[in-house]
Amino acid sequence: MTDISANGAAPQVRSSILVQDVKMRRRNAAETRFKSYGLIAIAISLAILALMLFTIFRDGISSFRQAQLTFPVELSAGILDPNGARNPADLAKVTTVGYGRVLDVALLKALADKGIALDDPKQATALISKAAPAQLRNIVLANPAQIGRTIEVEVLALGRVDGYFKGRVTRETAERDPQIKPVQLDLIDKMRGAGLVALHFNWNFIFGTDASEQRPEAAGLGIALIGSAYMMLLVVVLSLPIGVAASIYLEEFAPKNRWTDLIEVNISNLAEVPSIVFGILGLAIFINFAQFPMSSSLVGALVLTLMTLPTIIIATRASLRAVPPSIRDAALGVGASKMQTVFHHVLPLAMPGILTGTILGLATALGETAPLLLIGMVAFVTNYSATPLDPATALPVQVYSWASRADPAFIERSNGAIIVLLAFLVVMNVVAILLRRRFETRW
Amino acid sequence: MNDMRIVERTVDTHDVKIDAKDVNVHYGTSHALKGVSVAIPDKTVTAFIGPSGCGKSTFLRCLNRMNDTIASCRVDGLIALDGEDIYDRRVDPVQLRAKVGMVFQKPNPFPKSIYDNVSYGPKIHGLTRNKAELDEIVESCLKKAALWNEVKDRLHSPGTGLSGGQQQRLCIARAIATSPEVLLMDEPCSALDPIATAQVEELIDELRSSFSVVIVTHSMQQAARVSQRTAFFHLGNLVEYGETGQIFTSPQDPRTESYISGRIG
Repeated sequence: MTDISANGAAPQVRSSILVQDVKMRRRNAAETRFKSYGLIAIAISLAILALMLFTIFRDGISSFRQAQLTFPVELSAGILDPNGARNPADLAKVTTVGYGRVLDVALLKALADKGIALDDPKQATALISKAAPAQLRNIVLANPAQIGRTIEVEVLALGRVDGYFKGRVTRETAERDPQIKPVQLDLIDKMRGAGLVALHFNWNFIFGTDASEQRPEAAGLGIALIGSAYMMLLVVVLSLPIGVAASIYLEEFAPKNRWTDLIEVNISNLAEVPSIVFGILGLAIFINFAQFPMSSSLVGALVLTLMTLPTIIIATRASLRAVPPSIRDAALGVGASKMQTVFHHVLPLAMPGILTGTILGLATALGETAPLLLIGMVAFVTNYSATPLDPATALPVQVYSWASRADPAFIERSNGAIIVLLAFLVVMNVVAILLRRRFETRW
Repeated sequence: MNDMRIVERTVDTHDVKIDAKDVNVHYGTSHALKGVSVAIPDKTVTAFIGPSGCGKSTFLRCLNRMNDTIASCRVDGLIALDGEDIYDRRVDPVQLRAKVGMVFQKPNPFPKSIYDNVSYGPKIHGLTRNKAELDEIVESCLKKAALWNEVKDRLHSPGTGLSGGQQQRLCIARAIATSPEVLLMDEPCSALDPIATAQVEELIDELRSSFSVVIVTHSMQQAARVSQRTAFFHLGNLVEYGETGQIFTSPQDPRTESYISGRIG
């Protein structure tokens, strides 16, 4: 065949390899075009990611610093311990109203000492946050021996003071603001000059409890952090063993028949079910039927486990399948049982893939909001949850609930909460990467 | 090509180790092995030769029930090891495979240390009582596999880091560590260079003193060099089975003759 065509064809002009022919040029052009499409796509996604991170950090990073009032407070025994016995039961009876009076008096005295004149004492005392008396009360109850002495305290300033420092509140907005007047902004400037008020790092934002609509300055993420941590812990503890066991059974032991096909299709479908459906399921089964406590991280974790399981099972089965069959042959060939083969040889090799799948599932679960709304984790909780059975909330739910409040101070906190959520995610990923390193082996 | 070195060997007439009678294997609807009957003697090297897809590997995998792992595979007929049917309901294939070891076509060491590769079999079968005994087994198996001198200083480095020939010898050491009675080898040299092949062949000849060795090979020269008995498979049939010298010098069946002389296959 080749002989005939070679002999029959007209003598060909020998082409130089130094010159590209038309076809080659076209192929090279197509390749260049394809590469540039890829670069453009990557550049666009990187730009959007950078923009997103930039806006979140721009709007959220300020929430880690909070305007605080610092002044000496005389802990007058007459108000705080009328009986003078330092009896804890008596001390606990003094409400925040009493502490509020102590703070008001102390602030006015501090202003007078610094020589800052006031038209109306209310202008100054209104700058103390409504959450401040509770802060002082905690300080005193923690160490009752301080009663009677004068101590330097740092308490929260009104949210508007914080807003003024961060540029949210200006003299124009203050004209229309029932909470603050322009004349008070002048006062704040003076107090700032005297060192009575300044921005300090805000531990309360990370570890404190949520606060009501009226006191954004006191709102913290503590309970959401605890709730999210409990849920992630429970989700790993529940979904990893169940998911891996199910995958090993389906992949290595189960006969291939109509039933296992059906199960397989269902698992793949479950991975695509909208998360809110899992929320309804959790509401119906875990709360209404099983009577688990509403709003608890346990119920949240169970719902998220159901959501995460298909992801983990699919990833685990894929990585089990990726283990070369020669390894299974080798183990069976020396007389290992099926289970020994799986646990001694196949599973360690599949581990990096399983961990990748798990971390993907967990990352989704960590950011999940909708199902948690349905099982009541959006509740306003002000007590730290000691166990997973106590009411709690979760980071993404906290972001959602703060973002939907009216005061712009909450928008800042909502962005700050997103930063904490991202940090949580990064920590989880780092742990997973370190674990995966440990398991990675060549074959 | 044709200068096959046929060494006239005195074939000791040992007892029959594996006796296969009328073995049929189906993969789904395809009939892979048709009525094969072979008696494999003890302490001999038996070679299975034949063109690709002739069923020789399938038959080999029947001998330690590795075919059980393939769902669509069905085996009929009788295969007896020392007179006991290995497909009996009471036989646990895991226990059988400790007696009938296997070396595969592609070297497949576990991604673990050389030591762990060899000690794995004895460990899971509980053949040793302490570390010293295990060390001893590892050393003797690596020596038998002619690998000891090359790896004795790095027993705890990964087995996957060895060269191809070394890996295959490691796999042989791993297979003999459970002290099997029969060693099955599925084209053990097809992934090796000539030097490594020569080493493995030498090893096979030495192993003959302790085990019955069954080797599947594509290379007729190799069959001629290492085996005492040869079986020729073609299209799922066992065409001819006899002493290696006789098969290569005076084959009875015309198909054997055409294969050996290179006309088919």
